[in-house]
Amino acid sequence: MTIPNLPNPIDYAVPGFILLIIIEMIWAKRRAPEKYEPKDTLTSLAFGLGSTVAGLFVASGVIAVSLWAYDFRLMTIPFAWWAWILCFFIDDLAYYAFHRSAHRVRWFWASHVNHHSSQHYNLSTALRQTWTGFFAISFIFRVPLLFLGFHPAMVAFIGAVNLIYQFWIHTEAIDRFPRWFEAVMNTPSHHRVHHATNPRYLDRNYAGVFIIWDRMFGTFTQEVYEEPIRYGIVKQLGTFNLLWSVFHEWVGIAQDVWSAPWRHKLGYIWRQPGWTHDGSRETSDTIRQRWQEEQAWKISTSSSSAADPVAAQPQAG
Amino acid sequence: MIAVVAQLGVSLLSILALAWLAKLLNLGGDLRIRDEDHARRLAQEAVFGFVATDIVIDRAGMGALLKDAQGRQMLLRRHGAAFVGRLLDRRLEARLDQNFLTIGTGEKTFGSITLNLGDAAQDWAAGLRHVPA
Repeated sequence: MTIPNLPNPIDYAVPGFILLIIIEMIWAKRRAPEKYEPKDTLTSLAFGLGSTVAGLFVASGVIAVSLWAYDFRLMTIPFAWWAWILCFFIDDLAYYAFHRSAHRVRWFWASHVNHHSSQHYNLSTALRQTWTGFFAISFIFRVPLLFLGFHPAMVAFIGAVNLIYQFWIHTEAIDRFPRWFEAVMNTPSHHRVHHATNPRYLDRNYAGVFIIWDRMFGTFTQEVYEEPIRYGIVKQLGTFNLLWSVFHEWVGIAQDVWSAPWRHKLGYIWRQPGWTHDGSRETSDTIRQRWQEEQAWKISTSSSSAADPVAAQPQAG
Repeated sequence: MIAVVAQLGVSLLSILALAWLAKLLNLGGDLRIRDEDHARRLAQEAVFGFVATDIVIDRAGMGALLKDAQGRQMLLRRHGAAFVGRLLDRRLEARLDQNFLTIGTGEKTFGSITLNLGDAAQDWAAGLRHVPA
């Protein structure tokens, strides 16, 4: 099999990223200046640069693991046109699995939280990439593709294309696309939901390119216009300190594991972010549950007041 | 190797240029807490279920202190073009100087904020002695 010499698509995409950020900034200047914040933008872009540097350090490790996994492949899939398409679909499913785990397992979240720690949602947020992905062994989610027989060069190229697609959906400048597009593709609207901290939106819309995975696996939520979206993380950082922003969750894990009773130590690594052995913090599930209970209560009181307006009124004395 | 270093150098210059452009365009604006309703909404957003019953807002709208029916107290402060909130606990550090109350949450990276609370400063400073553990 001839292995083509594939370029890194991200190298070619970067000038486009910069141009689109400038265009979005001009849009923000005219429409909504608060959508950008200079220090936040600098932090996000520094995340991106640091992620690139971290990538250079771990590249040889990723290549070594990829080639090792490829040696155990079930078959050899050629560099044929259909293989590229198939690889793109399966890689996007693998991304969904990674992304869902990145929100549901604190170990992976410690790395992925970097991408969510901005209280703004704009194209610079897309470049807020982790520095610790390799340490968190996030790449294991792509290993099945190598076992299947897709060449590491193809998997790396497709992964980069997937990442490039996800850049442009980090914007509030685009409302919604036609229904057929929103039904299949991940869009700015769907991804705004993913970055939201509103209880109704927590841990939803994990898709990379195709939103169909969320629809299939029951994690899809539609953006609603009635409720303004708040971005960031449940406990906002409140700092632009780059190093703290990068490592805060790892520090949190270390502190929790250190202070927890022996039988609960591992729970602070593999359980959901927010989980504690004594229930002293909240997870996204418990926050959503409280929100759902509140909504149910509002509906029941509004329907009972509609049926019997007097009954719903506060009683004097 | 030289090409990689050059590429990183260009990237660094690009991100500095973009951040400078954001500043030049005066993006971010000047957000302030407008009134009690605004503070109440921000607190609810910071901690779901926090329904403020007592509120004092900094004269310049840069921050606020809030209490809820459960006795919890929250510090709200501006962070760039957004607001952040923290429930206060025993780790808090507070210093009263006439109408000015300086509060730190005990979180080093969160920092501290000095609020001009006017005549209410003394009462709120006293109230901080009763935050939960």
